[in-house]
Amino acid sequence: MAKPVVIVVGADKGGVGKTTVSRTLLDYFSANNVPTRAFDTESPRGTLRRFHPDITEIVDMTTASDQMKIFDTLSSASPSVTVIDVRAGLMSPALASLRDIGFLDAAKSGQITFAVFHILGPSIASLDEIAETANFMQGAKYFLVKNFINNTSFFEWDQATYNSYFHRIKDATELTIPKLNEMAYEQVEVASVPFLKFVANKRFNDDAANYSFVLRGYVRHWLANVWSEFDRIKLTDLVGPGSAEARGEGGI
Amino acid sequence: MSTTPVYIVCSPRPLVGRTLIARLLSEFLLLQDGAVAAFDINLKEPSLLEYLPQITETAEVDNTFGKMALMDRVIVNDGVAKVIDLGFHAFDEFFTMSNEIGFMKEAARRGVTPVILFVADNDRVSLRGYATLREQIPPNRLFIVDNEYVLRGELPAVFARGKVVQIAALPAFLKTYIDRLTFSFTGYLRNEKDQSTELYQWIRRNYFSFRELGLHLMLQRS
Repeated sequence: MAKPVVIVVGADKGGVGKTTVSRTLLDYFSANNVPTRAFDTESPRGTLRRFHPDITEIVDMTTASDQMKIFDTLSSASPSVTVIDVRAGLMSPALASLRDIGFLDAAKSGQITFAVFHILGPSIASLDEIAETANFMQGAKYFLVKNFINNTSFFEWDQATYNSYFHRIKDATELTIPKLNEMAYEQVEVASVPFLKFVANKRFNDDAANYSFVLRGYVRHWLANVWSEFDRIKLTDLVGPGSAEARGEGGI
Repeated sequence: MSTTPVYIVCSPRPLVGRTLIARLLSEFLLLQDGAVAAFDINLKEPSLLEYLPQITETAEVDNTFGKMALMDRVIVNDGVAKVIDLGFHAFDEFFTMSNEIGFMKEAARRGVTPVILFVADNDRVSLRGYATLREQIPPNRLFIVDNEYVLRGELPAVFARGKVVQIAALPAFLKTYIDRLTFSFTGYLRNEKDQSTELYQWIRRNYFSFRELGLHLMLQRS
């Protein structure tokens, strides 16, 4: 049986695009026929749940009952991938909880595949977050995501300073999410559907929609670029070799 | 399945006769089909809108609203041929956008036939623009317009490889005559009694070229 995979998407700062990245991950796994479930820790609002209600549950990661809901079901749950969209400010506490319940040790010993997508913001605070997160990263696959979706002039750190933080974590991988046309982003928000459905011009219930061809084109182009980044880091290999065969079936 | 042609008359250079060709083509399609929708993407040159206000609307591609308003119209297979007079300043933006949004592929899916009429010139900007188009546009959708009034002498070899639509040069006084805003090519054909005049023959030759182009596209589809 394939090992369960847990992907934590988080940052300690808000508004850096955690939920957007989580959405692209769910779309990517769906297109690659990888069964996936998601937990949205933005309780009680749940932005991720708005876009993927059928596979997303809202949880409060600070409570033991919800931690049990996520981690005690890892082996028994049929989806092989669990994506956890961690609310702003909860990244470090969440990782500390994972350490306390022995989850990080399980990942270290190879019982669970654990990956962290750390979404970086433009400020120097993000670099401090890297240093803080580094303490928990043994046994995890660590992806530093430079998210340009909201703002093109995002990363203006001194490269040497950035490298000094980046190299603190062994085997960290950098990932870039390109900018999406603002209006296209806004229209997907308004439509409240996964990016894939927007591209396919469908409503949530699969009825035909009437989204702008231009905006769908922008989203398709952007999503293809994001997924090529996921392909580059061999994301489906996290799930095991079997899933890799399914790749290519879910092109956009 | 019937398809709707979308003619994009373009050049990255100003003053190559692009609007003249868009006018001619629009009037020809209006005569042939009874309907045509023209889009004028020009800010800095004599514009199609001034010549054919009944069938032309302005469009813009320098903002997302403008792109949506234009492309969401031209992607529809409604049987009404479209002509886009694409100003030189919008050339790069338009083709970057159409490449990004997958215009050619989506058009093929929806039964729309984009036809690019590239008005050639022998300067570096034109050569570079043409090279960009060749990377994006299938060869059977990319046509060269050899406007002899602009491009005297031989067509540069790089253009001669594609299918060429020839537009003969008119004497300067006739050029001034057809440049009047009230002049109509089809109106001239209808009203001129003497069919041997140079202008009459010139319009007929060009209409014939457009008819041939339409047949060529039809044959490709069948």
